[in-house]
Amino acid sequence: MKNKTLLIISREYLTRIQKKSFIIITILMPVLLVAMIVLPVLFMTLSEKRQFSRILVVDESEVFINNFQDNEHYEFCYRSGDIEQIKREAFDQDFDVVLQILSNSQGVKSNIYYKKNLPTGLQSEVESQMDDIFFNQLLKDSLSIDPQRFENMQTLAKSEAATIQIDDRGGEKEHDSEVNQIFGMMCGLIIYFIIIMFASLVLRGVLEEKSNRIVEVLLSSVKPAQLLVGKIVGIALVGLTQLVIWAALSGAILLGIQLAAPDLFSSDAVETVATTATSGEMLSNGAELAADPGNIFSMIQNYFPVSFGVIIFCFVFYFVVGYLIYSTLYAATGSVVDNESDSQQYTMPITIPLILAIVFVPSISTNPDGSLAMWLSMIPLTSPIAMMVRLPSGVPAWELLLSMGIALAFLVFCIWFAAKVYRIGIMTYGKKPSWRTIFRWLRQ
Amino acid sequence: MNIIDVQEVTKRYGDFTALDSVSLSVPQGCVFGLLGPNGAGKTSLIRILMRISAPEKGQIFFKGHPLADDDVFDMGYLPEERGLYKKMKVGEQGMYLARLKGLDRQEAYKRLREKFEQFGMMEWWNKPVEELSKGMQQKVQFITTILHKPSFLILDEPFSGFDPINANMLKEEVKKLKDEGTTIVLSTHNMASVEEICDHIALINRSRKILEGDIFEVKNRFKKNLYSIETTRLPEVLLQQLEEQKYGICSQFSNDYYTRLEVKIPEGRTANNLLQLIMQHTDIHAFNEIMPTMSEIFIEQVELANQQPDHEE
Repeated sequence: MKNKTLLIISREYLTRIQKKSFIIITILMPVLLVAMIVLPVLFMTLSEKRQFSRILVVDESEVFINNFQDNEHYEFCYRSGDIEQIKREAFDQDFDVVLQILSNSQGVKSNIYYKKNLPTGLQSEVESQMDDIFFNQLLKDSLSIDPQRFENMQTLAKSEAATIQIDDRGGEKEHDSEVNQIFGMMCGLIIYFIIIMFASLVLRGVLEEKSNRIVEVLLSSVKPAQLLVGKIVGIALVGLTQLVIWAALSGAILLGIQLAAPDLFSSDAVETVATTATSGEMLSNGAELAADPGNIFSMIQNYFPVSFGVIIFCFVFYFVVGYLIYSTLYAATGSVVDNESDSQQYTMPITIPLILAIVFVPSISTNPDGSLAMWLSMIPLTSPIAMMVRLPSGVPAWELLLSMGIALAFLVFCIWFAAKVYRIGIMTYGKKPSWRTIFRWLRQ
Repeated sequence: MNIIDVQEVTKRYGDFTALDSVSLSVPQGCVFGLLGPNGAGKTSLIRILMRISAPEKGQIFFKGHPLADDDVFDMGYLPEERGLYKKMKVGEQGMYLARLKGLDRQEAYKRLREKFEQFGMMEWWNKPVEELSKGMQQKVQFITTILHKPSFLILDEPFSGFDPINANMLKEEVKKLKDEGTTIVLSTHNMASVEEICDHIALINRSRKILEGDIFEVKNRFKKNLYSIETTRLPEVLLQQLEEQKYGICSQFSNDYYTRLEVKIPEGRTANNLLQLIMQHTDIHAFNEIMPTMSEIFIEQVELANQQPDHEE
């Protein structure tokens, strides 16, 4: 009898991982993921390497003459005279832009003339250099302060605040709450996608067997429970396989890039990307994490108030329990309907909490100890996501245990519920059963 | 000896009673026709026999012992609604279904190849099921049903969807299985095939069994003492005498060469009496008893049962 369950598991597993779509997604996903991290950095590095701009400065105020600093990307030359004539000549003399600085009692106004394309970053470079020069000039002229002394004083006066969390035993740990948030959000999102993807695979699998009527043949050989367990476990293994391949492939690709171009993630490039990209901070953190795989472990170990082992354990726990809760309920749904479009009516009540959990992820993440976060991490339909988001920021042990306990108890209920409904639903065609009918099945 | 004994089985779905205290016995080695109008409860009974669903009341005995989970290894079932995994390859699918019935990999492969070769289907082995014609799919399904050589086989409307050639092939296959000792329950509305291959029948109507028995015994039970007589001519005096002696003349036909009569023999008289009477007037070419067809018995019994007052809607 046990043999048959294994047989069903292996069929569910093998037919799915042999599918073209599975192979494509499994290989493509890590490539895309890595591309999302690497490409912006790569583009930035490449574009920076390509750029070298020669700037011709025509300064009417005379404040800036010879004060611009040349660097690897910019070279400044100075000329005075009729701006119209200089503009005509400059571009033939291999200058990329002409910077005209106008003298003005209100402040400094300037024009940047260019042909075709304005090199990226040139405007901000010019502006920031002009700000510094002008500020230093003001210090000297109006306040009679030596700019060098001012800078020294500024450095002296710099203060820094580290964030240190004290745990219940009085131990202290320095951690970066931003990294916590991002890590937690990532865990929550992964669990969400896994649940949605694979639980609906279970639903479709059950529905497939029902609608093509093979289920009656199968049930003449095996028990409904065996069929259900075989399907759920088989698909779970597919999910795990995919996760493991994703992790391994992403790691391998990142490692390969790291070896091929060790400077790619040098902090300069990353910083630049981080400041220019819209989701800059997240990206830079991600890139930093990815940049040095050897360090991730110790970094995480240092950052998180919860030990990395606990996080991994909880991730696996909530992944498995969350998947089982949703897949059993989805399987029950698949068994009562005749086609996929009808299934929404029944999955809605269980899918809404999942979506709510995702919607509230940012709020949970910014306020991991708030009552919303607390409640969402207790309700079993949302806890796999909510608790994972909270966890890296630290959760009291009793809350974690309670949440796990509730989830397990609910899972037992779901298995009972699904077994009852599936057994009858799978052989019932035609009319969609009402909730009342389903409750009657539960009593049978 | 009976391979299956159903004892007072009752099955309910909510308020609906699908089987109401049904008892019947399937003798070993026969082809058993399970008959009844649509919705009578045949499929419910079959599902209980296959342990797909459990009855509320009653018991099933298989080869003398209460039906148990492991008995499904010795049973085969071809449901009325056929189905296979559409995307799965034909060979793989056959292997899977055979192994679910307890065959090991080698044995399943050997038998499947044998059957595929017999039915000329080897070229389909690696094709997905959805590329097969409907008739082909039916064949695949039938093969997977009998591959584990069950001693008890249930075929629910096996002929539906087959063209006459394939239907005939299936019929021959059923007869062959019977000769090999397999007991077969045939649930069908195709009365011609019942006449042809069934030895035993049970008639279920509105969740109750209304008739059961050996097919000849049943026919005998419901025969109407009707005889068909072919003679050279039909003298007026003979017709008069038949009427005088209370013989019922159901139909008569004549042309230039022969005449035919259908006569119902009244209570107290025998076929011999009738023969003697006719012999006095004309030459007899043929004389035989008209047995009721299964179709006639079916319709008559169902209509009769539906008139019973205890069968409330």
